[in-house]
Amino acid sequence: MTAPAMEAPVPHAGGAVSQSWWSRVWQNHAPGYLFLLPWFIGFLGLTIGPILTSFYLSLTNFDLLTAPRWVGADNYIRMFTADPKFIASMQVTLTFVIFSVPLKLAFALGVALLLNRGMRGLPLYRALFYLPSLLGASVAIAILWRQLFAGDGLVNDFLSVFGIQGPSWISNPRYSLWTLIVLSIWQFGSPMIIFLAGLRQIPQDMYEAASLDGASRWRQFWKITLPLLTPVVFFNAIIQTIEAFKSFTPAFIISAGTGNPINSTLFYTLYLYQEAFGFFRMGYASALAWFLLLLVACFTAFSFLTSKYWVHYDD
Amino acid sequence: MTMKLDRRQFLLGTTALAAAAGISPAFAQQALRLIFWGSQARADRTYGVTDLYAKDGGPAIEGEFLAWNDYWPKLATQTAGGNAPDVIQMDYRYIVEYAKRNAIAPLDEFVGGALNLSDFDQDQLDGGKVDGKLYGISLGANSVALMINTVDFEKAGVEVLGPNTTYADLTTIGEAFKSKGVGKAVIADGSVSEPMYENWLRQRGKALYTADGKVAFDEADATEWYKLWADLRAAGVCVSPDDQALDTGPLETTMITLNKASVIPSNSNQLVAFQAINKDKITISNFPRIATDAPGGHYRKPSMFFSIAGTSKSKEEAAKFLSFFVNDQAASKVLGVERGIPCSKAVRDALAPTLDEQSQIALNFVANLGPLLGALPPSPPAAAGEIDASLFRTLGQEVGFGAKTPEQAGPELVKGATDILNRAA
Repeated sequence: MTAPAMEAPVPHAGGAVSQSWWSRVWQNHAPGYLFLLPWFIGFLGLTIGPILTSFYLSLTNFDLLTAPRWVGADNYIRMFTADPKFIASMQVTLTFVIFSVPLKLAFALGVALLLNRGMRGLPLYRALFYLPSLLGASVAIAILWRQLFAGDGLVNDFLSVFGIQGPSWISNPRYSLWTLIVLSIWQFGSPMIIFLAGLRQIPQDMYEAASLDGASRWRQFWKITLPLLTPVVFFNAIIQTIEAFKSFTPAFIISAGTGNPINSTLFYTLYLYQEAFGFFRMGYASALAWFLLLLVACFTAFSFLTSKYWVHYDD
Repeated sequence: MTMKLDRRQFLLGTTALAAAAGISPAFAQQALRLIFWGSQARADRTYGVTDLYAKDGGPAIEGEFLAWNDYWPKLATQTAGGNAPDVIQMDYRYIVEYAKRNAIAPLDEFVGGALNLSDFDQDQLDGGKVDGKLYGISLGANSVALMINTVDFEKAGVEVLGPNTTYADLTTIGEAFKSKGVGKAVIADGSVSEPMYENWLRQRGKALYTADGKVAFDEADATEWYKLWADLRAAGVCVSPDDQALDTGPLETTMITLNKASVIPSNSNQLVAFQAINKDKITISNFPRIATDAPGGHYRKPSMFFSIAGTSKSKEEAAKFLSFFVNDQAASKVLGVERGIPCSKAVRDALAPTLDEQSQIALNFVANLGPLLGALPPSPPAAAGEIDASLFRTLGQEVGFGAKTPEQAGPELVKGATDILNRAA
């Protein structure tokens, strides 16, 4: 039996072999491309298009209401030579990344190790611990955080039980960024789930062999668990770092978009937002966005380059 | 192949045509869109008036409202997208920018026709003009004012602040607050309040900005301002910097509503909204004086405007709605003085006897400012908003938290403001 698709083009062969080849490819794959079309349109129109437009805008002054005016590299030059707020916001974001990512991963790993001890009701605990990650980036949680860490909030009520008079955490520049770091650590759910899956992959017989040789649990963790888990650690570190660089909502809600007190919670993304939608400098904000993209790309590339020295793939 | 219509196709086609024909008049009578900033109290009143207007046979009006901080990004985005609402609430700070970019339309052609402004106050009309053309209709006159919790003052056994209260008096009041155990600071930290700084400068014969958009105060002024508040802070007369930083803008987070201070700087028309969310009785007064023989530094200003989008397809309809909003007496009873004192004399006279006590206070305050009033300052440069949000408030906090001394902050304010103005120019 021959497929009807093969028969159709033959009679019109005016010497065009390629044409029949094309039409064959088309006939074979057209439905596939057709189904992909919505994605292609979205990818080109909603992702690639705006990204390229923002690069063009980063070379202009654009205030939304009048047409963009070409300024060349001025926006980029200004960032590095004449903008103390750029430096300040970069410091805040880097501090946030440097503290929140390792602490969050350590915490996630700790909980995953606890949950991996074959306890009863594991699915329930897993779901419970994952819950904050689902809620974490939401506006409601940021508002809740505001209440918890306010001068007369729950945290200080708790501390006062021990006779400690806590400060107003969110509105004091010494502590405000730390409340955001704690919020980020609290959302340890998704790295924890991934760690848990990674732990399940480690063969039990290795632990049996190690304990026969008299290795303590602590030693087993350092010599077996952690090395075999490094691919998962690597994956989590990359994902969480990118997330931390992009972090926006909690700082926006907790400081009502100001980055105060004294710019202590002025995340890079928040500064970018202020420049764009507060002061209508879309060109400058686009330049800031492109720098962030480059920074994250460099960081990721660097991580991949160093990974061969510390990530063990056991194949 | 010839075209053939069977009966079903014919019926379908004609029904579609009829439907299209039936719908099109409905599209012609399009709803007007309205956008404004404000609290729920303002929204309730505004929608009360749009309902009245629809009942009077006007087009339906679809409104949306946001908090001040969220309002401007949204409006700018809608305007840039060619999708601005027909009627736009506008502020004195932004009207020049929007007018110069044709984002809002001049309204002169409608005056006398769709837009009746026959008994409008001249100063309020002038406030809405840019380069001699009318771009905004004032929705009410107001002035900056202190919101005062009267219950706290009763507890402390001192008289509520009045026209002759000076900054020095605040310290005496602070002692009474402490000895009677009121348990709050007297006043919010005014060092981060731009209107309060402006008023203080005007009392010294200075201003924030010159008519050509330059900084109009010097380093010595700014340094002394920060010193004034550093002293009040040290004496516990104003709130701590931690507490002040809780104030992120909405009325709900102000020091008076959070019960951290008895007095805050605000605008006279907001008495209505503050009373709505505070249990204790609130009253208003003028800002503290630097000396009783100095000028009061106040001015009557348009609290806000309604403007019409440059892209609006129904400017005439929108102008009719504006006319209704500021002239109709039933509408004015719904609005009260929440947006300031009505600018039409007829409306004001009809409204006054019907007002509740709080609204009477607001009305009388603006009407009786008398000797405390000065001339309306020129409209601020476009970057004034940025100077306030990203420089003035941050510097105030830095002095508050002790990261900078007043002697450092003063010159930085002048230099920073000049830099921002130069960049915008």
